[in-house]
Amino acid sequence: MGVGLDLFAAASAEGAWTVGEVTRRARAVVEAGLPPLWVRGEVSGLKRWQSGHWYFALRDGTAQLRCVMFARENRRLPVAPADGMQVFAFGRPTVWEEKGEFRLTVLELLSTEAGGLWQLAFEKAKAALARDGLLDPARKRPLPAYAQRIAVITSPDAAALRDIVAVVARRWPLAELLVLPTRVQGDGAVAELCAAFALLGRLRGLDVAIVGRGGGSKEDLWAFNSERVARAVAAAPVPVISAVGHETDVTLCDLVADFRAPTPSAAAAAATPDHTEVRDHLARLGARLDRGLTSRVELAAQRLARSLDRLGGVMGLRLERHRHQLATAGGRLDALSPLQILGRGYSLARDARGRVLRRVTQFPAGLAFRLRVSDGEVSARVPES
Amino acid sequence: MAKALTFAQQLERLEDIVRRLESPELDLDEALKLFEEGVEGVRAMRERLSSAEAKMKQVLSTENLDQ
Repeated sequence: MGVGLDLFAAASAEGAWTVGEVTRRARAVVEAGLPPLWVRGEVSGLKRWQSGHWYFALRDGTAQLRCVMFARENRRLPVAPADGMQVFAFGRPTVWEEKGEFRLTVLELLSTEAGGLWQLAFEKAKAALARDGLLDPARKRPLPAYAQRIAVITSPDAAALRDIVAVVARRWPLAELLVLPTRVQGDGAVAELCAAFALLGRLRGLDVAIVGRGGGSKEDLWAFNSERVARAVAAAPVPVISAVGHETDVTLCDLVADFRAPTPSAAAAAATPDHTEVRDHLARLGARLDRGLTSRVELAAQRLARSLDRLGGVMGLRLERHRHQLATAGGRLDALSPLQILGRGYSLARDARGRVLRRVTQFPAGLAFRLRVSDGEVSARVPES
Repeated sequence: MAKALTFAQQLERLEDIVRRLESPELDLDEALKLFEEGVEGVRAMRERLSSAEAKMKQVLSTENLDQ
């Protein structure tokens, strides 16, 4: 069999390839023939490894393609895609030599479903928060009416902070703003926001906290959709006002906060009273004090007047009675007066010493005496016998 | 004494005084005392509003928290 398979020749060093040589060549061919490309398919069997890398397959009705998305790429995504999710994957087709496996190294992954992965992540975190009752409106605490110490958790050099400072300075001079600077997007933002909320409990006399940032893309606002940040907001020791992005971007942080403001400026206004209104309120209270005291004094004056009237009445009666008694006594005195009796023709005899002479024996012969009559006195003498 | 109270506490006290002063069962001496305290409260709070200026400071770590 001259043309049969020459096993020995095939086994010779020149005639057979090593496994490594074949897979290396396959890899080179694949990488040269298939440039990085977008692939559409359904996610299947996704596994997250300890290292943070994701392994899954993309499939359609007829085939499947093994995929890996390394941690340094998938870190930008809010959540891993769920099995069965339709996605677009951008990646480099290659051959994984160690396993002899044809696969796609995924660099970017987009969901084709409404809202995509961001929406999925949002809904998952929201459901977890709702399960723990953190979205319950009954949890929301009232904001203080006259806050003095206000914590502000935001980026130290962004417009949001400048707006907050300007509004507070204009509205409420009593305020003291304690700024806790944090990153509000990108790597580290979530950890810094959580750390800032953890600090709140150590700020003495704190009345309220504002957390927020200006507008940005969904990715920019993502830290405020982190479940960790939402839980930190819920655990804050004072009421939290959240103002993240524009009014149309509702984040988890907004949902968990005690009050949601549409902008950082509005958050500052919600945290403080307007000092002109407070002055008006004070003026009204001052007026009520005046009125209160005045009516109190008037009431007392009326009572005093009534008492005086009654006192006057009692005194008048008493005086009248006395006057009457006096008149009666006067009449009686008058009737008893000796002058009245003399007027009726009687006379009064008295000796030289003024003693009244009442009996005959008091008139010895020759006695000189005086007679008092109604209009004067006359001298008289008893004749010598 | 007013120093130790927050503005909110001062205002609450004043509102309480006004309510009591407006209630008909109150003798004149008590009313006068409340009135004086109330007027002083209004003055102190106005003064507080006029003399204050909003302050801002950064809290970077636990070091400068003790105040």
